[in-house]
Amino acid sequence: MIEIILLISAVLFIFALKLFGRPSTAHRANFFAMLAMALAVFSAFNFDFSKYDSAFYITIVVSGLLGVLISKRVQMTQMPELVGLFNGFGGGASGAIAYVELSNTSLPISDVFVAIFSMVIGMFTFSGSLIAVMKLRGKLNNFSTKLGNIFSVFLPIILIIPAALEMNTFLYEFIILVALIAGVIRVAVIGGADMPVVIAFLNSLSGIAAMSAGFIVNSIILIVAGALVGASGIILTLLMCGAMNRTLLDVLKGGFGTTTINNEYEKDPISTSPEDVAIQLSYAESVVIVPGYGMAVAQAQSTVKELTNTLKNKNIEVKFAIHPVAGRMPGHMNVLLAEVDIDYEDMFTLEDINSEFSTTDIVLVLGANDVVNPLARTDKDSPIYGMPILDVDFAKQVIVIKRSMSPGYAGIANPLFINENAKMLFADAKEGLEKIIKSFELV
Amino acid sequence: MEATFLLTLLITFLASFIGYELISKIPQTLHTPLMSGSNAISGITLIAAVLIYPEVGGSQILQIIVLIAIAFATLNIVGGFLVTGRILGMFKKND
Repeated sequence: MIEIILLISAVLFIFALKLFGRPSTAHRANFFAMLAMALAVFSAFNFDFSKYDSAFYITIVVSGLLGVLISKRVQMTQMPELVGLFNGFGGGASGAIAYVELSNTSLPISDVFVAIFSMVIGMFTFSGSLIAVMKLRGKLNNFSTKLGNIFSVFLPIILIIPAALEMNTFLYEFIILVALIAGVIRVAVIGGADMPVVIAFLNSLSGIAAMSAGFIVNSIILIVAGALVGASGIILTLLMCGAMNRTLLDVLKGGFGTTTINNEYEKDPISTSPEDVAIQLSYAESVVIVPGYGMAVAQAQSTVKELTNTLKNKNIEVKFAIHPVAGRMPGHMNVLLAEVDIDYEDMFTLEDINSEFSTTDIVLVLGANDVVNPLARTDKDSPIYGMPILDVDFAKQVIVIKRSMSPGYAGIANPLFINENAKMLFADAKEGLEKIIKSFELV
Repeated sequence: MEATFLLTLLITFLASFIGYELISKIPQTLHTPLMSGSNAISGITLIAAVLIYPEVGGSQILQIIVLIAIAFATLNIVGGFLVTGRILGMFKKND
């Protein structure tokens, strides 16, 4: 009976992933995944609910209610922090279980290895994720440490082997400590704009920790579900790295963009006013908006929607060009835009929209910088050379809404800003857009 | 024993492969809910906690550690699925 429930659960998980492939069916995917989870957890009780004391049930109910509360309260702009936190919880839970299993002295040696592996990955994910959350909230600056590089990559791995042979609780606790410190150091050296990679990577690790916990307790459904999470995280990690033309190792090494080079501009940019932008926009036929982290920081998404409505009412075509690493996590911009009811069919990926820029009248760059820097195509010495960018400089007119000429994450100047077809509107993303919308009433 | 282990390894490999194939097809627009959804699924480690909880009755410290794991995993499952549902609802109403 239990086996059949588990089989249904596993099939439902995979079916859910299949449904997740399209925005129109994805909400059903979530329902099936929930059902699969409920069946899997139910089966673990093996129809014997009396084995568990009140502390057990109280913990489940209280943390479940807390989960409901969090899910209702969280703002869409806080999604990167929430996913980061949940990565940490997932890793921490698997790591803790592995530690408890290690206290069982009759564990076969192969399971001891797996348990230590799960413990190291889980604890690393836990502390690393908490640091990532602090970084996302802007509470922690980068720090570079050379010692950290050697320490946090190799030490936990080296420790696994002697620890498994020695089987000593004290040693296990020491490994936990090392893994926790390794997580802190590893994430602390990585800059904020690399967080999409870090979050995706930790997401993957939380799945791998769960998968290995499944090996210890001999639960196939736990292995399958953990493997699915691990695979999902790996895919996103590689996508994010590819979108920056960097390797995972390079990102994890940290310190990117800390050396400021070639930060001077040959000439002054052409600066413009909200009134002029409104006039130009009203004569355009096609407009592409490129949102970046600046839009999230300024909480400008509802103002973006307002502008979109204004333009669409004038029969101007509006599209959104979203770079894979825009924002602080994969898909961050899409969620913010969906929140304000912007149709997902108006959101385009880099591959889909790049060929259209040459026929676009106006591109509005909103708090994005490195992802539209043409040096990625032209300057072989640039740190972002080879990174796929949105070719906005091919459009007839580019308007960049940005507070200053300060460089982006990569620490380099963006020649787009002084291009002949580019104008700068120096403003906060939200205020700038509000002024443009107001000016429309006068046009 | 050997055969079971190999079979488990095979299942792991197949699950990873299917996961990789299906998830590769998920569009960029859904990457955030994909991550919050996989947060929820990573909470499946609750199963391991449920399985070992009755065995650690002898040690209070171990019991507390398992309870912490249960709290984390339950938070992930409940919070993760509900948040994912909220996000996907925003995409759904655009149809």
